Amino acid sequence: MATPPTHDADVPSEIRLRDLRVTSAPVSIIARVVTAQRREVTRKSDGGRRPVLSGLLSDGTASVRFTWWDPPSDPVEPGEILRAVNVQVREWQGRLELTFNWKSRVAPAGEAELPKVALEEVPVRKLSDLRSGDEGLRVIGRIVRVAPKTVSVGEDRRLLHEGVVADGSAAVAFTAWSDFRLHPGEAVDISGGYARVFRGRPQLVLDERSTVRRVPGDGLPTAESLASGAAKRMADVEASGGGEILEVRGVVVGLLPPSGLVHRCPDCRRAVRDGVCRVHGNVPPEPDLRTRLVLDDGTGVVTVNAGRPETEELWGRTLAECLREVEATADPGRLEEHLFATVFGRRLRVRGRGSADDFGVTIHPESIHVDPLDLGERARSLGTSLGGAPR
Amino acid sequence: MTGREPAWRVLAQELEASLEEEKGVGERAASYLLSPLGARMNRVLVSGTLGPAEPVGRDPENPFYRSRLVDPTGTIAVTAGGFQPRAMATLREVTLPTPAIVVGKVNLFRGRDGTAYVSVRAEAVRPTSAEEVRGHLADAVDQTVERIRLVEAIRGEVPGTEPRIVGYPASWVRSAREAHRRYPGVDPGTFRGALRSVVPVVAGSAPLPMPAAGALPTSVEPPRIPTPSPSARITRSVPAPPPGAPSAGERAEESAFLDVIDQLADQSADGYADLKEVVRAAARTGVTSQRAEELLGRLEESGAVEEPIVGKLRRA
Repeated sequence: MATPPTHDADVPSEIRLRDLRVTSAPVSIIARVVTAQRREVTRKSDGGRRPVLSGLLSDGTASVRFTWWDPPSDPVEPGEILRAVNVQVREWQGRLELTFNWKSRVAPAGEAELPKVALEEVPVRKLSDLRSGDEGLRVIGRIVRVAPKTVSVGEDRRLLHEGVVADGSAAVAFTAWSDFRLHPGEAVDISGGYARVFRGRPQLVLDERSTVRRVPGDGLPTAESLASGAAKRMADVEASGGGEILEVRGVVVGLLPPSGLVHRCPDCRRAVRDGVCRVHGNVPPEPDLRTRLVLDDGTGVVTVNAGRPETEELWGRTLAECLREVEATADPGRLEEHLFATVFGRRLRVRGRGSADDFGVTIHPESIHVDPLDLGERARSLGTSLGGAPR
Repeated sequence: MTGREPAWRVLAQELEASLEEEKGVGERAASYLLSPLGARMNRVLVSGTLGPAEPVGRDPENPFYRSRLVDPTGTIAVTAGGFQPRAMATLREVTLPTPAIVVGKVNLFRGRDGTAYVSVRAEAVRPTSAEEVRGHLADAVDQTVERIRLVEAIRGEVPGTEPRIVGYPASWVRSAREAHRRYPGVDPGTFRGALRSVVPVVAGSAPLPMPAAGALPTSVEPPRIPTPSPSARITRSVPAPPPGAPSAGERAEESAFLDVIDQLADQSADGYADLKEVVRAAARTGVTSQRAEELLGRLEESGAVEEPIVGKLRRA
């Protein structure tokens, strides 16, 4: 095979992963191992076993999958830096992949040998393009919300920050394992994050290797527009399987059980049946109000899980009033009927986070508002769209 | 994901013009009525002025009621039986024409002479203010206009070129293409005229329409297939009326009988109505077993009902 002439055939200069293209000529790279798994494949010709190591490499400019045939028996750990000379670039399932074979030479390298990557050189990824396993990501977005959270990791208690970041393409949940002092509304340039899938939706993860810079945020959606949002058609909400910031408008066409007066376990807030919590056994049940609204806009349907404050607001009744009524009538079914009669046909505007399961999209609302109706305006716009003066 | 069926916002004119059914196959499969404008309806939300309910069938044990809901474009039959107790109770409470909204399942019954009767089996009914009805009528006009534009765009496509239809839900585009295929002679633009008459009602300069006095669906000629105008010709083969077309009373009897079959089929695990149960249920509405056999024979002959397994009935 003809190798391209270089100034020194033995030590070709390394190519950055970002600049890899599929070529017949072998390339040299220097990169950090992000993940590596060892396995064996069976040769078809003689049934012999052949070891192979595969995983993900990153040099700060991009991350690329690699396959290493007949690797050394010493373990290769994530975090190690490797220089590989004479490796093949292939495309597999639409993504580039590096293959280390018998012609390749692979040796450990030092941290200092990794290319210095100026932040500006890393391409900015759109949030809508995040895919699980992507590493060394750079995104520019606006923090929509952020809140601290304490979690247990084994024996340790650790503080992390959870929130949502948005650019023009999408809004994505993030988890920051270090405190970057993020504030809602600010525009940030995040590099060194990675993507994973959590509950079926992509999520951005930041750790101590990530950096955050404040940027002017020109071209990003404004804090106001993210706060108000544009209502999405429910067909689109259903097709996309929910979203981190959703706004929908529709009409209440039904209720799902349990709605109305419910009883909850004082420990875990699960609904109890006959005074028995399925985790904590016999408990003194605490009364609560909730509504599972079926909201429909003619193109699709979502379920909205409304808690006690929203239920009281929509219903115009308080929990105390409901309890008194049940005591007086001894018929909780009437309460649910009354709730349904109150909300059926109401127009609502709902904002919140949407998640999908086998039964459709459920919205966990931040706010529920009655959608006001300007009939004069509606009539005018209908007249225009029908192209003709109303009779 | 097996989501709930959306409630299509439709007006009476589009429901009355809908003739094409899509029967689900397999257990618990949904059925749909496809409109010429591509509404693929299992469930609808309709609004207008609701008239008083009239009982259908004579058995107090097995009540079934029918009302008419009028909007500015036509009339919709709304029914509810013992399996929709809440909706039926609400229908029965209506004594004077009142503004109302209805969410329910669409039902198509095709009579012996090929006449199609569309009705809405109510899941929920609520009397409401005229203002609220005007809002729902506005939604229905809006979405009907969108459907008209979509089918017009599909009709205007040049074969062999890349389809360029954007801005509509994918499900709408699919069903609009199907509607274009199944109603080749219908010009969607002809639906605009009636929509214009809704606008002053939305604006409040015209009142909500009132149902004609005493004109209840069971006592008058039921809604017919709209007379095909030259520009909106429905080119499906309508079965020729047999000699001695059935009277309105006979049709009402057939329709009530079909409702019995539907209800039993809805309730059964296998989706079929058991023949013996149908005859028993019909007996409770005052239909003798001999009469039930006659009705059944007629309905099977006309293709409205089939008996794929001996003793097991369902809508064809």
